[in-house]
Amino acid sequence: MTLLSLLGDYTLQKVAIGAALLGLISGVLGSFAVLRKQSLLGDTLSHAALPGVCLGFIIAGGRELGSILTGALMTGTLAALTMLLLTRMSRLKTDAALGVALSVFFAVGVVLLTYIQGGNNASQGGLDSFLFGQAAATLTSDLWVMATITAIALALVTVLWKEFKLVSFDPEFAACSGLPVVLLEATMTVMIALAVVVGLQMVGVVLMAAMIIAPAVAARQWTKRLEHMVLLAAAFGIVGGMCGAVISAMGPGLATGPLIILSLSLIVVVSLLLAPGRGFAWELYKLRRDRRTLRTQQVLTTLYRLAQHHRDPAFRSDQGMVDAYHGTNTRSALQYLAGKGWVRFESPHAGDPATQPHWALTESGRHEAERILTDLEGASR
Amino acid sequence: MNETLHEPNLALHVEDLTVSYHGKPVLWDIDFNVPPGVMAAIIGPNGAGKSTLIKSVLGLVPSVAGHITLHGLSYRRARRRVGYVPQRSSVDWDFPTTALDVVIMGLYGRLGWLKRPGRRERSEAMQALEMVGMQDFATRQISQLSGGQQQRVFLARALVQKADVYFLDEPMAGVDATTERAIVDILRRLRDEGKTVIVVHHDLQTVRSYFDWLVILNVRVIAQGPVEKIYTAEHLRRAYGGQIALLDDVPTITDDATSRAETEPLS
Repeated sequence: MTLLSLLGDYTLQKVAIGAALLGLISGVLGSFAVLRKQSLLGDTLSHAALPGVCLGFIIAGGRELGSILTGALMTGTLAALTMLLLTRMSRLKTDAALGVALSVFFAVGVVLLTYIQGGNNASQGGLDSFLFGQAAATLTSDLWVMATITAIALALVTVLWKEFKLVSFDPEFAACSGLPVVLLEATMTVMIALAVVVGLQMVGVVLMAAMIIAPAVAARQWTKRLEHMVLLAAAFGIVGGMCGAVISAMGPGLATGPLIILSLSLIVVVSLLLAPGRGFAWELYKLRRDRRTLRTQQVLTTLYRLAQHHRDPAFRSDQGMVDAYHGTNTRSALQYLAGKGWVRFESPHAGDPATQPHWALTESGRHEAERILTDLEGASR
Repeated sequence: MNETLHEPNLALHVEDLTVSYHGKPVLWDIDFNVPPGVMAAIIGPNGAGKSTLIKSVLGLVPSVAGHITLHGLSYRRARRRVGYVPQRSSVDWDFPTTALDVVIMGLYGRLGWLKRPGRRERSEAMQALEMVGMQDFATRQISQLSGGQQQRVFLARALVQKADVYFLDEPMAGVDATTERAIVDILRRLRDEGKTVIVVHHDLQTVRSYFDWLVILNVRVIAQGPVEKIYTAEHLRRAYGGQIALLDDVPTITDDATSRAETEPLS
């Protein structure tokens, strides 16, 4: 199948739209979760959705999406409340409380899942698809549910933008300003639970956490403003979701959910490596540049001090001696300085005892060395 | 508003305040008053409950007992008249926002729901940044500011609140001498305008030169009043107990011969 005919495929269109909606909502809400240091909240909420999925199945007596998603939302919220209670009432820190809530709820979910599967219920088929998602099973009605939830979440974020921003940055100050911090935090948590519910069909409970975290982490690398970060995270989420959908349609029977996560992970890796200012490559470059600047400045001032010591501005320093003084080979530093026109290479005069090349400061090199030294004095004062 | 004001002549009035954490009292039966128009320091050893005191006044920490009024009003009703500078380490400075944006956050409470900060808020925030000498850093990402600059941004965020009573939690912690000087100058200017400034302070050396009102705290209030009456070796010893090394300079700065006699055997 060519790419073009693929894009006309009805199933793919549905899956791609669903994945894009999921990317959009989790990118936007994930940005706030990551900034509030609650990346793991998505993980807990999604794992805690499993018992809800099973309970919804048992109560409805079959694989009915409405009751399954309601169940997922309820147990997810219950897990979030458990987590909050644990941190408030005990000495547990947030990470430990999240871990406890996650494992307990997921364990209950797996027990319920095996109970249903042992019950010889003909309609139980496909329930375990909620573990890893089954995007191909997305129905048009599911898309409407997802679109509605996404629209509600986006509207809330738009209306409560400045409140969410302040609560994420400085909850104490927000409380002092009279904002209902607990209510706002609860709203954000419930919205993440909604995003999880949207994603259950697509990527499943196990991988949903990455859906929340990945677009936000990638977006954080590229920008300095919350506005841009949220927009960028939404864009990354949409692109990742659609890429995953298309790739899975091109290959035979490859699971969509994991492919969406892999596409997003690729965006994260590229962002972590290459983003200007924060990326790994950038930091490495800056480190090397700073090290070279320091080394060449040291060599230059050494030459300057030697010339001063010998009361000879044109004093020729033996490279071997400079090497010995710095305990390393300074040839590249000297050549860099020569390139700047601050030092001048002088071959050994006939009859000199040493055979090493000699270097002398130029006029501009002297000025540069003096500038460095006065800067240092200024800084230490 | 037919409710009668309770102690309206005091900027801050705290009565019978008790705060506990996991069943242990952090603040025990606190009574204290701060008159308007003073620059007050709250000092005390680590764990004395200094920050907790400020936070319970601001309603951030629940209290077991007691009541608090600001200019005669409860905190809920006096909120608009209160400015707060939390400890610098209480937030993550890697948050993606600019210095100007942080200052504008000080106006969110006044703006109310659904309204967005506009040109007027921006210019007010710029003025506050100018007051703390940070106007050139308005568009700077906050993670790229030095500790002292971050502290000034926090101060500007409180200034923009145009409050009558300011609470500052260790504003001089971890800033260089220049910034400390600048912060003290701004606080003095506020006091000279008739505002009340209440500062959690940790540096005993500077208490007498910076402040005119003092509350010494160690779970209970040890002493309170004008600095020159309260800053005595006896009071400090009662608050700091065995941490006497902190008080090496006390005998030299008090004229009270008896208190000198008391501290000498300990040092």
